[in-house]
Amino acid sequence: MRSAAILDGTLGTAARQAQALAGFLREGLSGDPVAETLIFYHDERDRVRLVGLAPTRAVRLVRTATRRPDRIVETLAALATNEQTELFLFAGGAAGTEMATRVACRAGGAVLTDALSIEVRPSLLVGRKNVYSNHLVGRFELSARPACVSIDAGWSDEGRPASLEHRVLSDTDATDGAGLAPFEDLELAAAPPTGDLAEGRFLVVAGYGAGSREHADRVAAAARRMGAVFGVTRPVAMNAWAPMDRLVGVSGVRTAPDLCIVVGASGAPAFSWGIEKAGFIVAINPDEQAPIVRNADVAVLDDGVTIIEELARIVSADREGP
Amino acid sequence: MHLSRAAIVEGLERIAGPENVITDETVLKESSIDNFRKLEHIFGVYTRPLPAAVVMAQSTAKVAEVLAFADEHRVNVIPRTGATATEGGLESVVADSIVLDGSAMDQILSIDTCNMQATAQCGVPLQALEDRAREQGLTTGHSPQSKPVAHMGGLVATRSIGQFSTLYGGIEDMVVGLEAVFPGGQVTRIKNVPRRAAGPDIRHVVIGNEGALCFITEVTVKLFPYFPENNTFLGWTLKDMNTGFEVLRAVMVSGYKPSVARVYDPGDAGLHFSHFAAEDDCVLLFMVEGPAGIVTATAEGIAAIVAGHPECKQVDSEYIATWFSDLCWGPEKITEEDERIRQTHNVNRTTEISAGWSCINDIYQAARARIVSEIPDITMAGGHSSHSYINGTNMYFNYFYNIVGCGPEEEVTKYYLPIIGIICEETLRRGGSIVHHHGIGKARTPWVKEEYGSSYCILETLKHAFDPNGIMNTGTIIPR
Amino acid sequence: MRILVSFKVTPDFEALREADWAAAAADGVRTRYARRILNCFDESALELALRLSEALADQGGAADLSALSVGGRETEPYLKTLQALGYGRAARVEPEAALDFAPAVTAALIAGYVQQVDHSGLLLLGCRSGPGDSGTMPFRVAENLGWPCPTQVVEMAPLADERVRVACMVDDGLLRATVRLPCVLAVGNAVVSRLRVPTLTDRLAQRGKPIAVLSAADLGVDIAEELSRETCALTGLEAIERARPGVIVHGETPRAKAQALFAEHLKTRMEKL
Repeated sequence: MRSAAILDGTLGTAARQAQALAGFLREGLSGDPVAETLIFYHDERDRVRLVGLAPTRAVRLVRTATRRPDRIVETLAALATNEQTELFLFAGGAAGTEMATRVACRAGGAVLTDALSIEVRPSLLVGRKNVYSNHLVGRFELSARPACVSIDAGWSDEGRPASLEHRVLSDTDATDGAGLAPFEDLELAAAPPTGDLAEGRFLVVAGYGAGSREHADRVAAAARRMGAVFGVTRPVAMNAWAPMDRLVGVSGVRTAPDLCIVVGASGAPAFSWGIEKAGFIVAINPDEQAPIVRNADVAVLDDGVTIIEELARIVSADREGP
Repeated sequence: MHLSRAAIVEGLERIAGPENVITDETVLKESSIDNFRKLEHIFGVYTRPLPAAVVMAQSTAKVAEVLAFADEHRVNVIPRTGATATEGGLESVVADSIVLDGSAMDQILSIDTCNMQATAQCGVPLQALEDRAREQGLTTGHSPQSKPVAHMGGLVATRSIGQFSTLYGGIEDMVVGLEAVFPGGQVTRIKNVPRRAAGPDIRHVVIGNEGALCFITEVTVKLFPYFPENNTFLGWTLKDMNTGFEVLRAVMVSGYKPSVARVYDPGDAGLHFSHFAAEDDCVLLFMVEGPAGIVTATAEGIAAIVAGHPECKQVDSEYIATWFSDLCWGPEKITEEDERIRQTHNVNRTTEISAGWSCINDIYQAARARIVSEIPDITMAGGHSSHSYINGTNMYFNYFYNIVGCGPEEEVTKYYLPIIGIICEETLRRGGSIVHHHGIGKARTPWVKEEYGSSYCILETLKHAFDPNGIMNTGTIIPR
Repeated sequence: MRILVSFKVTPDFEALREADWAAAAADGVRTRYARRILNCFDESALELALRLSEALADQGGAADLSALSVGGRETEPYLKTLQALGYGRAARVEPEAALDFAPAVTAALIAGYVQQVDHSGLLLLGCRSGPGDSGTMPFRVAENLGWPCPTQVVEMAPLADERVRVACMVDDGLLRATVRLPCVLAVGNAVVSRLRVPTLTDRLAQRGKPIAVLSAADLGVDIAEELSRETCALTGLEAIERARPGVIVHGETPRAKAQALFAEHLKTRMEKL
């Protein structure tokens, strides 16, 4: 099946797109591999860098107007017709969803967004994605071509292999006939910050079991040492062992870290809700019956302050190297 | 002899240790209110006098020392555990109060499966006790919507009631013995016996005292076998609320004890059941639980009674079962509701009363009509009955209004208290009680004398006897 | 300015029990008994449209608001609420078949309503809705209509000459842009997320006002035929294993436990952060 991964190099997210696609191509796609990457770019000076990012050896470059997804859509729809490309793969996010949908509509194909995985066979293409508000996974069969698939936003390339030797197959210019831009007076600003608790990928939370303000401070110090954001449960904040802006859970922040270590909290519902989206939860609590132990990936049954300080020492030593 | 804030804090630190005395301003603001003035918390505008400190009690002895200190120096004490009160019981009304918090006393002391009793310190969350009981195939039978966050001390202090009361009773039926500390520092322990006639039942001095007489440090409650496998749900739609009351009465008078028996008026039903009830439908629903034989007989008995009212149209019981499984106020719902209020300035409030069968419908109709015609900016006014007895039932008024033309801190004066007034007036006029289970708090003190009539002297005498220096939760139950 | 908001009413998936989801993989999802709620992005869109019309009025302009839902009778309480809030036209299209996983059909119905009945120049839609959660609807409708469609719109303000200034939370930041009507706006995670509440008086004033109920045929759409041309068909459902394992890390001393925790579970994870 003729297929292409698509990289919109006119956006600031090019590297992220490339990493996500690389990860997906390695682990999310089974069956016929995707042989080439189509890179859209605007500035000549970006060409080398963008080619270096491509997740496949074969690369085709297309010069286009900046920030014009409508132009990319037109180009891809034409490719589907002229070259019978049957599968376009887009990185996840708002741009990927838009392009996948529009190309499919324009070219009479099928679209699957936020794909967790796809299986590509000569005459069959099936994909999986979350449905029912992430309560279930749905399996879908894409029966029209081109199939336009955007991948789930959670994909990233972990432990990228040594960079590929890229081969640029073509470099075309599609800037003519750009036509009227659908939007005017564009201004791009950084997204407003949502705070370290909401954005933090590594979180250490102290609960009432820490025992005192000094102990809470020690947990905070251990967190800092490991490069983690420090949070607390409501009883800790209400005891003024830590400021209210550290509160995780109801009346505080709902977090979604990749890694969360909970020290001395029993795991009451009001708090658990604040961390339940975490990728990996470690509970440190002497009480095996505490609800947090059942709701954690891994638990250590011991005094939280002692363990977290030991852990911080081990992590520091590991980072400093032999 | 008036102690300064600093002297109060110093005294508390000597008793409880500085690590247990909190004077952080944010904490003190949060501790000056409860859900009655929840808009102050939601919008960050605090108008009550600030307490001098929150002191965490780690033991009964410490509670006694703090109370003795407060009594000696005439400092107001606000007893608190889970802080989920709704009627202002936890509000501070005088400057420099001491908030005495028992939530650190959170040990479950025993689960006694022979005598079917569980003993817990005052700071044990009900959910934690219930989870522990369930591990042994038992239940406390107590399930107020605040179950995920309320603590045992407060639940007894407010005479709370749960969703399954029609079968298991209110907290007053569940409490066996308890331990409470009185203002002079006297620690009193009431032992655990199934029943006695050794004078008046003194537990009732403590149960429902709302912190106006003593501080509850430990409670023992009954345990019941848990039979979830037989849970049965029944539901009907009907047009006339009065018919709903009649059915509930017939079920109670016939001697059936469903665990849940409710009738919702169209406004309140619209919030929960619009996926199967029409805009003008009331909803009548029951839940039955227990041993299989009893469940079958009860369900059949209820169905037969309803069949005698042909205007009741049965609904698929799966609707009721699904609705019921999602009922408690867990963290997600609390946060969503706070955010909803912040954005829309639309507030949901409740006021619940009780009365005999003969006048409950009149109270409901009259109060509702007055709310709709006298109060501005109402977006919903309705209610449901949820706790029935052989001799009457409660009416849980549920209402929403937009806050218009005033700040959030004025909501209570502009809307909430006037509505409470209407409901209390219409209830008292017909001989009902102004409060079924939320407690008088501070909100309903204007009507407490009329509520008691000539028996008010009994309440007053209790207050003077047990709290002669007036330090226990000033302004609660007994007006200042 | 004529503004149409298309919204979806779905079962409240959070109201279903764990057991319901576990059974769903084999038996299909039974959402019949769950209460209904407004899709959260559509709710933002409905409130943002009200604010947009207020802003227009402040500028001396005027807005004409209408609301549409592709759905059955469960949408009518919401349509009535919207009438009480000032939406001058309220309509629904009776779906005749389950369209949950057929966004192409729903898009055809919405586009048909805009072009043949409503003639609004600004169409607001939530960017995503359950159960499919594909996020494709706004673009499908935009493609049907041939209109531009800014996505992840979180703010909007009216400008002169039938233009709107929008802020979009895109992948690489916050993008502000001016877009000319007619256009579709796909509403994302706006800070404005709750619809205001009409008073009983407002509701009483609108009582008796009709809600238009249209069929697919009224809009020239043959649902059965469209469904037979479905290009991305749902073929099965899988449960998601949610419970965390709660594996206990053992060791003789706190140090040993911490070392085991690090070596066995955390080292690699921390490197990936």
